[in-house]
Parts: sequence; structure tokens; C-alpha cells
Amino acid sequence: MNSIHDLGGMHGFGAIDAERDEPPFHEAWEGRAGGLLEVMTFPAGFTVDRFRYLRETLRPDLYLTQTYYEQWIYIAEQALLESGMAQAPKRNDAMRPEAVWGFLHDRSHSGRDLDAKPRFAIGQRVRARNMQPAGHTRLPRYARGKAGSIVSHHGAHVLPDASAHGKGDVPQHLYTVRFAARELWGEHANPRDSVHLDLWESYLEPA
Amino acid sequence: MHNLVVCTLCSCYPLSVLGLPPAWYKSAPYRSRAVIDPRGVLKEFGLELPEHVKIRVWDSTAEVRYLVLPERPAGTEGMSEEQLAALVTRDSMIGVGKVSAK
Repeated sequence: MNSIHDLGGMHGFGAIDAERDEPPFHEAWEGRAGGLLEVMTFPAGFTVDRFRYLRETLRPDLYLTQTYYEQWIYIAEQALLESGMAQAPKRNDAMRPEAVWGFLHDRSHSGRDLDAKPRFAIGQRVRARNMQPAGHTRLPRYARGKAGSIVSHHGAHVLPDASAHGKGDVPQHLYTVRFAARELWGEHANPRDSVHLDLWESYLEPA
Repeated sequence: MHNLVVCTLCSCYPLSVLGLPPAWYKSAPYRSRAVIDPRGVLKEFGLELPEHVKIRVWDSTAEVRYLVLPERPAGTEGMSEEQLAALVTRDSMIGVGKVSAK
């Protein structure tokens, strides 16, 4: 999805406002919003990828002006609305306190077993495909069409492009790819600098 | 060599180790510039790196989480593990700061 969330390489957002001794939350409701989403019962089949995709569907002007936890509430609302849970809550589906710990520690495991051998080897030159999906993807625009080298292989992981849209895990091999800063940003970039991205096998082709 | 961690697409962060991310880590200015202008970003945090230092930026696009093992500062040769651990800052583990011997 080519929207405003894909910020890498954009100009014009000004200085970084790094607050000293920042509190965990600036207002009490932010902590409640964060806690609410950690333990709320999401629709069956809901994934972290759907979570990120829903955030990307926020109108670009709101994406840039709402606070982080306002956006979390938006995501929760969308998740409940699209599943119908907001209209028809099933109280007996609610998470029990004793299940919270396990939920917090289990849900983010995205690694999967896969019989297929990895297509690419460490050190191999690859090119990120020029893909422009209207749905969720984790290939930022700034890397599309660019060539780099495989620096590590992480086994197979759930493919966000499928998982965000209810199409299952579709696990693929995941690699860290190093791109020279000059390949991404042109001749004015420092020749010593590089950017690394974690990219799924279908995002890549041999270079 | 200097390492810097970012998530340009959302706000992925090694939460289970470093806790909640600071607001600036999730902000548009940091997310947009860390990949295209890491030296400018570091300068804003008061860290000016010599030209010859290689910068490696890590954009957290998957579920792999990155944090920086900070470089041991000069003058800490006699320090114990606890004393060294007390010098480490969150910012140095994101890569926007260095550890200093105080």
C-alpha cells in the first residue's frame, strides 16, 4: 500500500523532538489505551500484520496528526467493526486474566517450519522487486528496484502481505539484505554507509 | 562502524528488552530521515561521526528486532560488569548515542 506510513526517505518533517526524561505515557488514558489493546480479544484469525495494515488505512492527514495511542484505538475499533464483534460481543470469548501472560509472550512468534529450501545464499546479489501492491506489504518504496546483498537468513516467517488480508500464513524464507546508501539515495550518500532490511523471498529476485 | 535502528514503516522496537519506545522513535521526522540522512539524525542527537566511520542502518521491516551492543568507551578498562552496565543507555542501544565513561 503506497501510503503515508511508508516514510523512509521523505523530506520535510523537520527536527526530531527527543524529549528528555520522557514518561512512559504522557496522559493516563494513553496507558489505558495501550493496556486495552494488549489484552483485548481480537477477532479470530487477527494477526499483527492485519494490525499494521489497519493502521495504514488511516487517512494520511490523520496518520500524521493523531497521537500514537489515538491510532491504536482506531485500529481496535476497525478490528471490532470489520469482524462484527462490536455489534455482537460474545462475553464468554473474553480473555481471562490467567491467559494474559501466555498471550503476550506467544502471539508475536512469526517463524514457521518450511520444507522448501531457501532460494538465496548469504553473500548473493539480489534485487528487490518493483511491486506496488494496493494491500499491506513490508517492502518500503525506497528499496523497490534496488540491488543489494544477502547478509543473513532467518528461516521462514509468516508473509505479512497474505496474513494482513486473511490469506493465511504463507510462510516464506526471510533474509536481511544490505543495500549501499548510494544505491538507495544516489551519489551524494556516504559511500561507506548502508541500510539493512528484512525481506521475504517473494520480494527478491537474483541480481 | 556505527549501527542505528529504525522502523520506517511503523514503529517496530525491541520492546521486551528496552521497554516502551520513546515518542521520537515513532515520529515521522525520525522514521523518514534515519535511512536517507543518518549522519544528520545523529548530529541532532549531538553525535557527529567522522566521515570514515561506516554507518549501518537497520530498518525493522519484519519480526526480527534489533538493538545495538554499544562500543566500550575508553577509560573503562578497570570497571566491573555492573559498573559497565550502569553506563549503558537506551539511546546507545538504539544507536542515537554513544556510551561515555561519565
